[in-house]
Amino acid sequence: MVYIGETMKKIVIMAMLCVFATSTLAESITILNNGKVGGSYHARSQMYKEGLESRGYTVNFENIGKIGQAVKVFKETDEPIIMVYSTNQVYNQDLFHTKDNLVLLEYEQPMWICKTFDSVGKTDKITVAHGKGYDTDIIKKALGTNIILVPYKNSSAILNGILAGDVDAAVNNQGKSLQYSASGQGVCEESDVLPVMQATVIGKNVDTRSMREVLLSIINDKKFVDYHSSRQLKRSTATLEEELDRIQQKTINWEVNK
Amino acid sequence: MNELIAVSIGLFAGTITGIVPGAGVLVAMIIATPLLMEFDVVQLLLFYMSLASMVQFTGTIPAVYLGIPGETNSLPAVVEGMKFTKRGKAKLAIGISALGSVVGSLMAVIITFLLISVLIGHVSVFFANTLKFYLYLAVIIFCLTVYNRGNILLNMLLCVFGFLLSMPGESDITQGFRYTFGIDDLEFGFPLITVLIGLLIVPTVFSMLKYDIKRNLDSDGAISFKYTVSYFIRKCMPSSLRGSVIGYLCGFVPGVSTVLATNTSYSIEKRMGKKTPSRLLVASETANNSGQFASMLPLLLIGIPITGSEVVLYSLLVDAGWSPFQFERVHINAEMIYKTIVPWFVFANAVALLVAWPLARKTLAILSLPRQYMVAVLAVGMLLLNSYLGYIDYRFWFYSACLVVFGIVGYLLRKHETIPLIFMFILGNEIEGVFFRQWFI
Repeated sequence: MVYIGETMKKIVIMAMLCVFATSTLAESITILNNGKVGGSYHARSQMYKEGLESRGYTVNFENIGKIGQAVKVFKETDEPIIMVYSTNQVYNQDLFHTKDNLVLLEYEQPMWICKTFDSVGKTDKITVAHGKGYDTDIIKKALGTNIILVPYKNSSAILNGILAGDVDAAVNNQGKSLQYSASGQGVCEESDVLPVMQATVIGKNVDTRSMREVLLSIINDKKFVDYHSSRQLKRSTATLEEELDRIQQKTINWEVNK
Repeated sequence: MNELIAVSIGLFAGTITGIVPGAGVLVAMIIATPLLMEFDVVQLLLFYMSLASMVQFTGTIPAVYLGIPGETNSLPAVVEGMKFTKRGKAKLAIGISALGSVVGSLMAVIITFLLISVLIGHVSVFFANTLKFYLYLAVIIFCLTVYNRGNILLNMLLCVFGFLLSMPGESDITQGFRYTFGIDDLEFGFPLITVLIGLLIVPTVFSMLKYDIKRNLDSDGAISFKYTVSYFIRKCMPSSLRGSVIGYLCGFVPGVSTVLATNTSYSIEKRMGKKTPSRLLVASETANNSGQFASMLPLLLIGIPITGSEVVLYSLLVDAGWSPFQFERVHINAEMIYKTIVPWFVFANAVALLVAWPLARKTLAILSLPRQYMVAVLAVGMLLLNSYLGYIDYRFWFYSACLVVFGIVGYLLRKHETIPLIFMFILGNEIEGVFFRQWFI
């Protein structure tokens, strides 16, 4: 009887441990999706959601779709929350990377300059498509002052604009520039003058270090690896402190018309 | 099964909003918003396609029997249909209109099949700012001259008001938020559905209350199906084929696609000297359906909405995972049109033919339901819808305040067509961006 009783006791303790472990694993977290379908913010949010769910998290996917509104929710929430973010947004949204909110520097990418074949060699009044939030002074520094700047809503609209023949050149992100190169209508090259865009994940009401470990394992999942490699995105291998330092150094370049 | 559900709901919604005077596709989309938020991309497209097709069919019924336009494109049907009704031949008018609608739909599918490779080959043209500039210029001209009996001053005031409403929040060409007047909730602009409830549903409710459906129903004589089909083939087929082609071309004009299709076909038929009511009626009704299918193609192929209801559909599609603005998706979208949309489109047309022809009088009985109750249900439904959307958008009080304000504005504008205002509100930001870029290009 004593033997059975002790066995039962062990079983009960094991069962309680299992329940406890399961409830710990089934942690709840909210992901704020601040991007539209087809954009990188949405794709990355979706992959983090799937990765977290496959690791036992209960994920509340808040599909907001607008960066401004998502930042507002992020600032006001008391819930455990993470959100994909990037350094080109920090001044516009007044939300900077700090040691309290930075979870991960996912990758860095330079800005690219694409030109149509017809405009190669053209020096006068080159029309240049650019994102509405870009610093026009920096673009002039990269392409000269004798250009006509044509603002577009986002990177997809810039790509469509240059493909449709609206402009002679475009300043765009790496993914869309590679798509343009692939169309065979022009040439693209990395810019060493324009600021580097750093894609990050920020969090609030979460242990950023343990969340970082989980997200680091997620970006090694096949889907994420394929996503990064197909866009030739350079992933960070630094520590959290080093990443924060690098982000804070380079963020300043995104201050518009400083 | 999911596809059948979407099509069935679309057909049901189309039957009701086609019959109710002043209502239409856009009104049905707004009312069905909570349901549509649960649909996937294909279901949304099928729902919209079924709804839009059915509305074109059933809109003719109140036009012919009662002399009131069920939807905005039914005005030629009112003029010509009433001539039949006065002679006790409403059934003939209904029959040839329904047959013409089927011909228009099928012709649109055939023309699309023949032209699809050309459309895909020149798809980049659709993305050009210059093309958009001229299209939007055409939209503005139509808004100024077509609505409110061509009262340009009134239409201009409505356009300006709509444009001003589109300005607060984010712009397509400048960074940051503008014209928010210190109100945080204005950073994301005025809520689309709330504005539509105020400026479209409220005037619709007042239209519902003013019509009398008793007249003309008793004077309907008996006309056989065989006679109707034979009459259509003998006398209306050339007009129907002409209407299909004219309607198809007009269907691509943003903002006014089916209205333009119907009226252009009607006018051309008149100028050709074909002034018999049957030919005029069939030409306009055929163009209506053909134009409806064509108007969906820019959205289906390249993700550019060109009508008010498509703008609402577009925002729902994006939330459901639709990724339109991609050149590489054009072929996938074209395949989806023929493998998924067209078979259901044919099915929807077959059902619509039944509802709008043999069952026309029964369908019209919807209007004999106590209208006070219909209005009460609609009002409560809209209040709940607005509150729900405000809650999930984190702007509950702002949505509520906007509903009150735009409801009052809608009431004040109840005697006018608010479409120019709505168009400029929905497309204002986009038009501003296109015109601004055109200045440099």
